[in-house]
Amino acid sequence: MVTARTLESKLASLYKAGKIVGGVYIGPGQEAVSASIGSCLTWDHDIFGALIRDQGGRTAFGEPMLDATRSYLGSINGPSRGRDGNIHRGHPTEGLPAMISHLGAMISVVAGMLFARRIQGRLDGVVGAASVGDGASSTGSFHEAMNLAAVENLPLVVILANNQFAYSTPTDRQFACRSLVDRAIGYGIAGHEVDGTDLLASLEVVSKAVNDARGGGGPQLVVANLLRLSGHGEHDDASYVPETLKNSSLGRDCMAVAEQQLLAAGFLTEPEIEEWKTEAAEEVQTAVALAQQEAAPDPFADDWIVYASPELAEES
Amino acid sequence: MPEVPILMPQLGESIAEATIIRLNVTVGDEVVADQEVIEVETNKATMDVTTLCGGTVRELLVEEGVSYPIGTVLGLLEVTEEEAIRTGVQATGTTESSETTCEPDEEAPRAHFATPEGGAREPRKVEPSIRGLSVPASMKGAHYLSPRMKARMDELGLRAADISAIVGSGSGGRVTVEDLEQFLAYVSTWPCGQASPMRLSVADSMRRSWTRPLASVGRPVALENLLDYRRSLDPKPPLTIFLLRAFGKALAEQPASAGYLIGEQIIPPRAFDIGVAVQVEDGVLVPVLRRVDTRTIAELMEEYLDLVRKARERRVPEENIGGGIATVTNFGTFGLMWGTPIPLPSETLILGIGAGVKKPVWSQEKGSFIPVTEADLMLTFDHRVVDGGGAGMLLNRLNELLQEPENL
Amino acid sequence: MGEVTYIDAIREAQHDLLAADDRVFIYGQDVGHFGGAFKATRGLKDLFPERVIDSPISEDAMIGLAVGAAIEGMRPIIEMQFADFSSVGFNQIVNQAGTHFYRTGVPAPITIRLPSGGTPGSGPFHSQMMESVYAYYPGLVVVTPATVADAYSMLIDAVALDDPVLFCEHKFLYRWLKSDRLKDDDERLPIGQARIVRAGKHASVVAYSAMVHEALRAAELLAEEGWEIEVVDLRSVKPLDTDTVIASVARTGRLLAVGEAFPWGGVTAEIVSRVTNDGFHLLDAPPQRLNSRDTPVPYHPNLWEAHRPTLESISAAIRNLLQL
Repeated sequence: MVTARTLESKLASLYKAGKIVGGVYIGPGQEAVSASIGSCLTWDHDIFGALIRDQGGRTAFGEPMLDATRSYLGSINGPSRGRDGNIHRGHPTEGLPAMISHLGAMISVVAGMLFARRIQGRLDGVVGAASVGDGASSTGSFHEAMNLAAVENLPLVVILANNQFAYSTPTDRQFACRSLVDRAIGYGIAGHEVDGTDLLASLEVVSKAVNDARGGGGPQLVVANLLRLSGHGEHDDASYVPETLKNSSLGRDCMAVAEQQLLAAGFLTEPEIEEWKTEAAEEVQTAVALAQQEAAPDPFADDWIVYASPELAEES
Repeated sequence: MPEVPILMPQLGESIAEATIIRLNVTVGDEVVADQEVIEVETNKATMDVTTLCGGTVRELLVEEGVSYPIGTVLGLLEVTEEEAIRTGVQATGTTESSETTCEPDEEAPRAHFATPEGGAREPRKVEPSIRGLSVPASMKGAHYLSPRMKARMDELGLRAADISAIVGSGSGGRVTVEDLEQFLAYVSTWPCGQASPMRLSVADSMRRSWTRPLASVGRPVALENLLDYRRSLDPKPPLTIFLLRAFGKALAEQPASAGYLIGEQIIPPRAFDIGVAVQVEDGVLVPVLRRVDTRTIAELMEEYLDLVRKARERRVPEENIGGGIATVTNFGTFGLMWGTPIPLPSETLILGIGAGVKKPVWSQEKGSFIPVTEADLMLTFDHRVVDGGGAGMLLNRLNELLQEPENL
Repeated sequence: MGEVTYIDAIREAQHDLLAADDRVFIYGQDVGHFGGAFKATRGLKDLFPERVIDSPISEDAMIGLAVGAAIEGMRPIIEMQFADFSSVGFNQIVNQAGTHFYRTGVPAPITIRLPSGGTPGSGPFHSQMMESVYAYYPGLVVVTPATVADAYSMLIDAVALDDPVLFCEHKFLYRWLKSDRLKDDDERLPIGQARIVRAGKHASVVAYSAMVHEALRAAELLAEEGWEIEVVDLRSVKPLDTDTVIASVARTGRLLAVGEAFPWGGVTAEIVSRVTNDGFHLLDAPPQRLNSRDTPVPYHPNLWEAHRPTLESISAAIRNLLQL
């Protein structure tokens, strides 16, 4: 979480300094939920369809930080080699598919990865997770994928971070049911709801959902309630978020809550936390510096080939 | 009695045929409307064929176990006219044609597509989808050369002039590649030889010149004075040199007629450099003498004779090639009386002179015909730059100058 | 041996694919024991129970599932019940599948079968030809087999390719088109190559899918009038075999591109554009296109017949081209 928050703050400031190619999307406020799911999953064993505000989860899952800095800073060595950017990155063959912008579209991809493993006889003990927000839950893709995953009884955990806003759209313009977790009933799957600002609660609920799925309990929908503590992207000042919401318990910063919880429970001391922050800052700085020194993609050196099949690649 | 067929129905998307599984009726049976009379099987399912109306089975035309295409007449029913009308079925062999008007129902709900008052519209004739495939503007006609045609002509080194003999069979009379190939095949059956480079050079030059609207005018010129004067000189200058000198002087007085048109710009003569047409083997060369307006006959003569000789040897010096503003040609030396010479493509004017001939010419003074040696002086000009009047003035001035040869 | 239909060939190809390669599975509505709406998978679930699976009506999720499965090394065949319904999964096809290799370096070898084209009475939503729409997007392969042998071999090749393939099978040809042979190994061509199905010298008619047969009929009609019309079967729309088309126009000098497709842009426009661009000097007449009308496909057979190119309209277009 610390790493994620540190990295993203750095990215935000780089954006404001004009160093970033394209947009920056960060997830302050969501780190608790994201890190919870990321830490329940094992790299190159489980599957994690991370989305926009999952830096916490990505880090916990095992995505190298250089992937983030290289993607954002436009290095040729990034996972997409400049062909895609910001959070559209992943390691598909190691369980981290690379998202596309259309929200809800990645759930069926994760479902398909699980589906394939079942046919291949290597689904035992595997869980696939997909992140969505309140906005994505309105899409047809979301609906089709949830239903299909339920029909196919796949070990899929959908982490729905309801951060109260889809860009500028508040939840009363997004859905009419009591809580998004009620949709689980409609799909015939298990639903869980948790206070997303509370790290310990999130860890408990998310790991239960993951275990249930791993143990054959079918798809799980985890709805975590929190508040987005940034704009939709760094180009957005989120002035539409009402003060009352910001000042409510929903608006608590999960980082602060987590620190308090971990200190109170005796898991960490203040100096240890400070040390973590310092280490994170150094790690971020190194990753940023390295990425900045690397070359940008060269249009004359890119092969501009879109096909994987060698016989087609030759012709194009 | 009217007949109604039992048809193999369209039993699903892309089904082309079905197999008869069972005939549930035999000839002579009475049936009612919508009765399942024949069981058929397709690739997808087993279904029943039903009757359109009640009647008697007159004939069954199919066998069990055999496949028939969609639309096949499987059997025939004999139906009464009342039954046919009741069910609205089209029966063949009715004894009287029944009235089949559609009475528009005033109370009927509004149709989705508006129809005019008073009933069903006459259906519009459906036209096939080739409308609009007319020949694009100007891609036809004798002058049109398609890209393929031009490419083929380039390959063969042909120009439009070369294919003028071909009658086009294409749209509007255009010459198609097929026409060209046939023509060339035809021509190749005749013996032929390679044209010399000189010949090709003249051909190209004349072809390019001809793209302009050229006109010729002429007048006779009395040569007595000129011939007498010439005889008095030693050595005797050739006749052409007087023409050359007169032309230079006349043009210097009237330079507009030697202007050269490009687009909307007229380029006036830079200097009165005039060329002389020299017949050489298989072609013509035109060496150019410079600033003819400023040099006398005597000053011009040596160079003139030298250049003509060199031209015949094909050794015209660099400084005498090109850059002229007009040309002189003496075809009289060949015995020709008159002609319509073609100017060089880079020039607006060419002056030609025919052979001198003794003719009877009316003399007003003497009141009778007197013998006069005359030659026809011809001027061909680019009519975009010069008109008949200007040409006439030039020729008349030339005549004046030639009557006083000692001043040239 | 009996006659083999176009749909038999598709079924046989899927059978052979399932039998030879554990990575292949078929996912689509009604493909299981029902055998598919057109019976393209009849009997296959009995033979391969784990790999022929009925899906819910969720074209978006079906394609997403296919991409996910492909990432994990499978070779999915997704049967769309009608090409027309693939538009529900359009995003997943063009943005997920089509961009995957380009963006991540990981191939997405999925094959999507699209029952395409009109039959009498099929109406606006069971008749569409989608090849132009998908060819537009980079990263996709679009094939349009017109013969029984191609229906077999091109489906095998499609699944073998490492890229997403839209396999546009024509519904009218399913049972109407028959051959005495399933495979024609002597004449087998790879995806990406067109075939000259009728040699000629007066004009080139370039067509694909069911229109190849209409074009051949038109060519035969014109042969009676003394014209030798060359017919080219594109076989795959993307990649489009420009070389073969241009070589044909080099022989004939005249081009008519025919498609059972809406007229704006699309395959016929692409053909004319390429020939004009690369082979302008070969054209003795302006290149022509013939498509369906710019309206949704009508339902009534009378209207339907006047909507798409037919023997009559193709012949008329060729005759017009010949006298230009």
